[in-house]
Amino acid sequence: MDKKQLQKFIQWLQEKNYIVIGPTKEDGQILIKTISESSQLDFSGQLPLYSFKKYLVPSREILFKYKKDDFKADLTAFKQALIGVSIFDLKAILLYNQVFEKDPYYQARLNNTLIIGQSQIPQFQNLSFKVWEDKYEEDILEHLQFDIFLGQAKEKKSSEFKIFTGSKKGQQILNDFAKQSGWKSDFEHVEYAGPIKEEGANPEMMKIKEKMPGSLETDIWQNLDQRCIECGKCTIVCPTCFCFSLTDQPCLNKDEGMRKRCWDSCFYSEFSEITGGHKFLKNTAERIYNWYYHKFVRIPDEYNFPGCVGCGRCSMVCPAGIKIHEVLESIKTK
Amino acid sequence: MKNSYQPKIAVIKKIKIQTPEVKLFTLQFKNKEDQKNFEFIPGQFIEVGLPSFSEAPFAVCSNPNDSDKNFQICVRIAGQLTKKIHQLKINDQLTVRGPFGNGFPNNLTGNILLIGGGLGLVPLRPLILANQNNRNFKMQIFYGACEAKDLLFQNEYKIWQKSANLALTLDKQCPNWKGNVGLITTLFDKIKVDSSAIAILCGPPVMYKFVIQKLKQAGLDDANIFLSLERRMHCGIGVCQHCSVGSKYACKHGPIFSYQELKNIPGAL
Ligand code: SF4
Ligand code: SF4
Ligand code: FES
Repeated sequence: MDKKQLQKFIQWLQEKNYIVIGPTKEDGQILIKTISESSQLDFSGQLPLYSFKKYLVPSREILFKYKKDDFKADLTAFKQALIGVSIFDLKAILLYNQVFEKDPYYQARLNNTLIIGQSQIPQFQNLSFKVWEDKYEEDILEHLQFDIFLGQAKEKKSSEFKIFTGSKKGQQILNDFAKQSGWKSDFEHVEYAGPIKEEGANPEMMKIKEKMPGSLETDIWQNLDQRCIECGKCTIVCPTCFCFSLTDQPCLNKDEGMRKRCWDSCFYSEFSEITGGHKFLKNTAERIYNWYYHKFVRIPDEYNFPGCVGCGRCSMVCPAGIKIHEVLESIKTK
Repeated sequence: MKNSYQPKIAVIKKIKIQTPEVKLFTLQFKNKEDQKNFEFIPGQFIEVGLPSFSEAPFAVCSNPNDSDKNFQICVRIAGQLTKKIHQLKINDQLTVRGPFGNGFPNNLTGNILLIGGGLGLVPLRPLILANQNNRNFKMQIFYGACEAKDLLFQNEYKIWQKSANLALTLDKQCPNWKGNVGLITTLFDKIKVDSSAIAILCGPPVMYKFVIQKLKQAGLDDANIFLSLERRMHCGIGVCQHCSVGSKYACKHGPIFSYQELKNIPGAL
């Protein structure tokens, strides 16, 4: 598929009532936004500061509208196409799919979402940091969940995309598009083979996982305690941070209101506080350890894959200059 | 798909003042089907809420075998929600989700030692009530409160004592109090604990370390010491992360854990 056809495809999606969301360049920054025209999309492969997280796991969502004791679930979801989802963000979606497997709100949203991944081959070579050693191979796609994937060959600087499908929905959409637009349907189907590679769990992850508990005896966490100001920025940009709180918001009308689910941050000191004031995560050191523990031990224990996709966004936003790859390095070597 | 966040409506059937700060509420689901289907294991909890005041976890504290299937919670005034619940009257309504969590082990036999501190007696009560006629059960209860007026379920002690040995202690000497005075650990100096016993602890976080020490001295196995963990909870189903304990969740894998499971998890106790 070339650029022109891709633009046509995007237009066609919009005509089919999909809200199209993807990376676009604004003031030199790549942002993920709703686009009105396909020409706004940026396929340079530069990493957007924010991920696609909020389109699947919104920062605030209404679970119920209540009137007195009558709690009505609000499961409405609109049709959206997420386009240009990087491999990093696709890996995060893999995690949400597991965490929210039994969540009717998430599932309603997912059912109405078309996920279109995109990556250069190899992806993000220009990044200055690395968390996981991950080469782009076509077999990466086997372990990701998406509907359509646009593969871009970097060397050729060509505007040709190699198209893959990862779901029936993706195949159906492309076939429909081909029928209605005259595009000569040309795509390869990749059968999803589960989140974990054949070789088993990521050995690098296993190493960090093993070293985490012992790291408590080192000065790593005390050192971070001195630097981190608990602003919570890293948890906001991190595509895999999903923790939340449930709160009620009364409306002005008597006896009416909304029960909401909102993003929370484990860096905030009330996160573990119970009535009476006792906190189970007592200080910054314990909270930052818990954040790493969730990503590198708890999620691996639950799902057998890492809770960090290695995008480096947390390092980019941290006002204290905390770099995740440096922290991991010190965990591994101490 | 089942919506685990969907609350059900329960009606307040009875209110009993326990202490100046604690009330015992007897609840019944508004919907007959809900009432019929409600089953719980001692040690499990429910999320109880009020519209505009959100929810909080409460241990179900009635007898799980009660034939009318009504159920009880004990509420102490501690914040906005509980203050509001205390103002409610008979026939007022609450929202309920659950039950959640694992509950106490279900195959308990032999010498059972229940240790409750303060409000920690509340989750233990269903275990006491459900095993009153259990011949495989030799029950010893240690219960400590701050002052005499804080002792919960006082009018039930006589009945409990028919099937259990109840030892009480108060932190402070109170007028007319002839029983033990001192922290709950002082009961271990008066009553011998069998090394083969199974201990179940429920109380404020500060209590655990000292009580476990005593139990270890008495020769109990780590796998035979069970604790109920209190944590901040929102979802109740192991997703929101507020109640994490190492790689486990108090709401889902707990709130009851054995000491063996917890002893190597930093910050668990
Ligand atoms: S690199 Fe940082 S922001 Fe990216 S997934 Fe890992 S922890 Fe989250
Ligand atoms: S962004 Fe940096 S300073 Fe802010 S909470 Fe995260 S680690 Fe701490
Ligand atoms: S209460 Fe949400 S994870 Fe336990």
